[in-house]
Amino acid sequence: MQKFLRTIPLNLALMIMVFVCLFPLYWSLVSSFKGRTELYESSPSLWIRQPTLANYQTVLSLSGGSEIPLYLWNSLKIGLGAVLVQFIVVSMAAYAFARIKFRGRDLIFYSLVLMMFIPRVGGLMATYELMDFLNLRNTHLGLILLFPSTISLSLLIMRQAFLAVPRELEEAAMIDGANTWQVFTRIAIPMAQSALVVISILTFLATWGDFITTYTMLDDPSLFTVSIAITQITGWSTMTAGNAATTYGSDNAAFVLAIIPVILVYILTQKWFVRGFQEGIIKL
Amino acid sequence: MALLDQHDLPVPEQESFLASFKTAFKDIREEKKGDWLGYLFITPAVILFLVFQGYPILRGLLMAFSDYRWLVPETQGLFKLNGLDNYLALLKDETFFRSFQITLRYTAFYLPLLLILSLGVALLIARVGSPRLASFYRIVAYIPVVLPVSVSMMMWRQIYNPQYGFLNSFLKNVLAIQDPPRWLSDPAWSLTAVLIPDLWLGFGYFTLLFLVGLYNIDGILYEAAAIDGANDWQQLIHITLPLLKPIITLVLITTGGLASAVVPVLTLFQTPAGPDRSMLTLGVYGFQTAFSIGDMRMGYAASMALVIGIFSMLFTALIFKLLNSERR
Repeated sequence: MQKFLRTIPLNLALMIMVFVCLFPLYWSLVSSFKGRTELYESSPSLWIRQPTLANYQTVLSLSGGSEIPLYLWNSLKIGLGAVLVQFIVVSMAAYAFARIKFRGRDLIFYSLVLMMFIPRVGGLMATYELMDFLNLRNTHLGLILLFPSTISLSLLIMRQAFLAVPRELEEAAMIDGANTWQVFTRIAIPMAQSALVVISILTFLATWGDFITTYTMLDDPSLFTVSIAITQITGWSTMTAGNAATTYGSDNAAFVLAIIPVILVYILTQKWFVRGFQEGIIKL
Repeated sequence: MALLDQHDLPVPEQESFLASFKTAFKDIREEKKGDWLGYLFITPAVILFLVFQGYPILRGLLMAFSDYRWLVPETQGLFKLNGLDNYLALLKDETFFRSFQITLRYTAFYLPLLLILSLGVALLIARVGSPRLASFYRIVAYIPVVLPVSVSMMMWRQIYNPQYGFLNSFLKNVLAIQDPPRWLSDPAWSLTAVLIPDLWLGFGYFTLLFLVGLYNIDGILYEAAAIDGANDWQQLIHITLPLLKPIITLVLITTGGLASAVVPVLTLFQTPAGPDRSMLTLGVYGFQTAFSIGDMRMGYAASMALVIGIFSMLFTALIFKLLNSERR
């Protein structure tokens, strides 16, 4: 009992942390279910008296002119595209760096990793020019190629994972007549599944949540990702002006929709984060 | 302005990599040709990296010594350099000095608070006995880190809203403050208004870094210290903090010296850099110069980035030195 009492101040302090971390999310969630009269009270309440789905209907109705579904689709497309490109490119390269012997292998590998630490002066401007030159600016394809190109960390994680696959398994398959490609696709990749999940999550979340790169590379509003679009559609200005103050609730519904995929991915895979951290720091 | 989001990855120790790089460099002449398939496997990755990451490093450096303007084609071209003209112009640029000042002031608040907050939370979580509860706290602390920054900032915007926001309604009704600040439209409050959400979205990452460090400290050390009569505070100062020094170093490298809060400033305020441009930090000024004002002077913005980079490095070096001398 005394032990329990001693943990109370500790947990109280941490509950404040929990409150502060989650409050903006909670506030948006509650606001997204509020009706108009409840939203514009002078002292807004922390709970919903008359929950309504009207805001979600507004935000999700394509016929009503809402573009949020389009933005969500764009985000999903770019995120999954980037994950797919990274999957192919990084797993092949990491396997070669882990298992295939060729001249200059380690030199190339460490060069790629060390490049991560070179400061990028004017990198965004240079990328802007490059993407324009390649006709990839203002396209989704451009972003799908650009995001996985920061390969250093995923390369490190995947190489480590392939090194951990038991050699005997691969050798046995070789004796049975499998070639390098077959060993790679049928043995190495399934054995390195969890690492593939880690790098895919990291890339998906980074792509979904990116602001500055996506914002500079895309001009056409119909191509916007949800993270960009949300900063443009919010009814802040109309709200303070006091007229047509109708978007507050639907804005919040849009925020919630933009966050749901991220929260889902994160909660379902959070154990990888701490592990990723530990491997990132200790093993490297 | 790195493309790589700093919050995505822990920075490994650089020395060990340099060492492996050197041995790899020495070995190359003795290596056999090996399997050509290897080259085939790495080609897509190498091409992707060199095109989208390697080339911009060099191009950006060249740009920093040119008067590249996006909307004026005559100023473009790989080797249309203008020597040190950009830097002479920077010396006369009052806005640059003003944003430098703003950045320094912001960093002076941001960096210490970030360290204290993340270390404090980490120390608290490390003391939680139940593993399930500790993991709950870890998960929650990391949630702001994984959320899309722009969406988080939009949510904060609503909390700050003078009429319908939670913050002012709380200040008015609960704390009975008659005239709560107009957070996003009063220049006097804009630094605080950026600082709070910026700390909110950043501290979880460093808390996790610190926790990894804390979990790796051998419990025997504390037991021994307790036997010798050291209290909690002494244990913190003499055991925990010295052993966390590599992580503190890592935090300082990752935050990269000067803090510009580019995305928060760009998304939080309705006006381009806050009311009266009061939060025009160096990063924001550079971004605007390159992408949203005038001729889109990318060359000038790149030289700004170079200056910021050099100052950030000096700044980090200075903190290292302070940390080192403090220990003796």
